Amino acid sequence: MLFKLSSRQFDQTARAYGADLYRYAWWLCRDRFVAEDLVQETFARAWKNWDSLEDLAAVKSWLITILRHEHARLYERKQLDYTDEDPQDLDLPSAVQTGAHLELEQFVEALPPTYREPLLLQVLGGYSCSEIASMLDTTEGAITTRLTRARQAMRAGLDAHEATRGAL
Amino acid sequence: MNCLEFRREKLADPRRLPHEALAHMSECATCRGFAAEISGNEERLAAVLDVPAPEGLAERIILRRKTGARVFANASPRLWAMAATVVLTFAFGVQQWRDAGSQEYARLAIEHVMHEPESFTTERLADPQLFHTVMQSFGGEMQASLGKVRYMKLCPVPEGVGWHIVFETEWGELATLILIPAKRMTSQSEQATVGGWTALARPGGQGYYAVITSSPDTLGKVDELVRQRVRWRS
Repeated sequence: MLFKLSSRQFDQTARAYGADLYRYAWWLCRDRFVAEDLVQETFARAWKNWDSLEDLAAVKSWLITILRHEHARLYERKQLDYTDEDPQDLDLPSAVQTGAHLELEQFVEALPPTYREPLLLQVLGGYSCSEIASMLDTTEGAITTRLTRARQAMRAGLDAHEATRGAL
Repeated sequence: MNCLEFRREKLADPRRLPHEALAHMSECATCRGFAAEISGNEERLAAVLDVPAPEGLAERIILRRKTGARVFANASPRLWAMAATVVLTFAFGVQQWRDAGSQEYARLAIEHVMHEPESFTTERLADPQLFHTVMQSFGGEMQASLGKVRYMKLCPVPEGVGWHIVFETEWGELATLILIPAKRMTSQSEQATVGGWTALARPGGQGYYAVITSSPDTLGKVDELVRQRVRWRS
C-alpha cells in the first residue's frame, strides 16, 4: 500500500516536473541527449531515495539539487564552479564580446555558471533570491547581485542589438 | 524607496516586487517605464529558456522506475548515429580543433554539424539582412545571394565564437557554412568526408570558412557558388 502511494506520487512528480527539469538540464549542458540522460538519472536517484523525502511540497527543489549533483558528477566535479568572488571580477557577455547580434539565447549560453544558474532557477523555476541562495549554498546578497548584474548585461546587450538593427 | 532602490529590486526579481516598490512605481513614471522594459525582457527571456522537452519523457522516467532499465527516446537511427558521434567526439573535439592539422579543419567542421542536428530541422535567425551583416563583419562581401538562410547560430569554438549557418540553395538542397575567426589555414583548401558528410575548408575573411553538405556533388556546387558570390577580404 505504501509502495503504491509512493510510486503514484513519484509518477505524478515525473509528469509534473519532468519537462521543467529537462529545460534546466538543457541549459546546464546544452545537449538534448545529455539533458535527457541527466533527467532520467535524477529521477532514478530520486526514486531510490524517495522514502527520505520529508516534504513533498519541496520535491522540485530536491530534484534540482539532485540534478545539479548529477551534472557535476558527469563532468567529474564535486560542485559546479560556484564561487563567491566579487562579481565585478567576473566577465559577463556584452554587446562588444558577442558582436552586434547579441540575442538572448547566445547571451544565456555565454553567461558564466555563477550567473546562469540563479537566472535559470528564477525564470524557469520561479524561485526567490532567498530560495536560490539556499539551493546554491550561498548568500541571498550574492544571488541578488548576480541576478541584477545579469539582467543589466542583458538589457545593455538588447539595447545595443536594437541600435544595430535600427542602423541597418 | 527611491528610484535606485526600485531598480535594484526590479532587476533582482522582476516578478516579486515588495509593497514599497509597488508603491514607488505607482508614483514614478520613469520607474514605471523601466519596469515595463524589464518585464518585457523577462518575457522574452522566459520564451527563450522554454526549450521543448522531448515527447514521452515522463513516460520513459516512469517506465524506468518500473523496469529499472534506462529507456531511450525513440529517435531515428540517423539521429542516434549523430548522438553516438557526439559522445565520441565531444571530449576531444575542442582540443583537436585547437591542434588541427591537415584535413582537420574540414573534419572538425563536419563533427560540429553532427553535433547540432537540429540545425537542419529548425529555423533560427533566418534573417538575410543579419546574414549579410555577419558575412561582412567576418570579411565576406556578398556579390549575390547564396540561397535562403534557414539557421544561424553563434557557436563556441576555441578561438572564441564562430557562426554556424545553414542555407537552402537555389536548387533546393541544404548546405552548411561555418565561419571560424582567427584560425589561419596554411593550405589553400582541405576536404574531408565523415559519416556521410563531406566538407571543404578554405581560408577567408577573418580566419577560415567551411562548407559542409551531404554529398560530394553538392559540395562541389556549393563551393563554386560561395567562390563566385562571396569576395573575401583578409
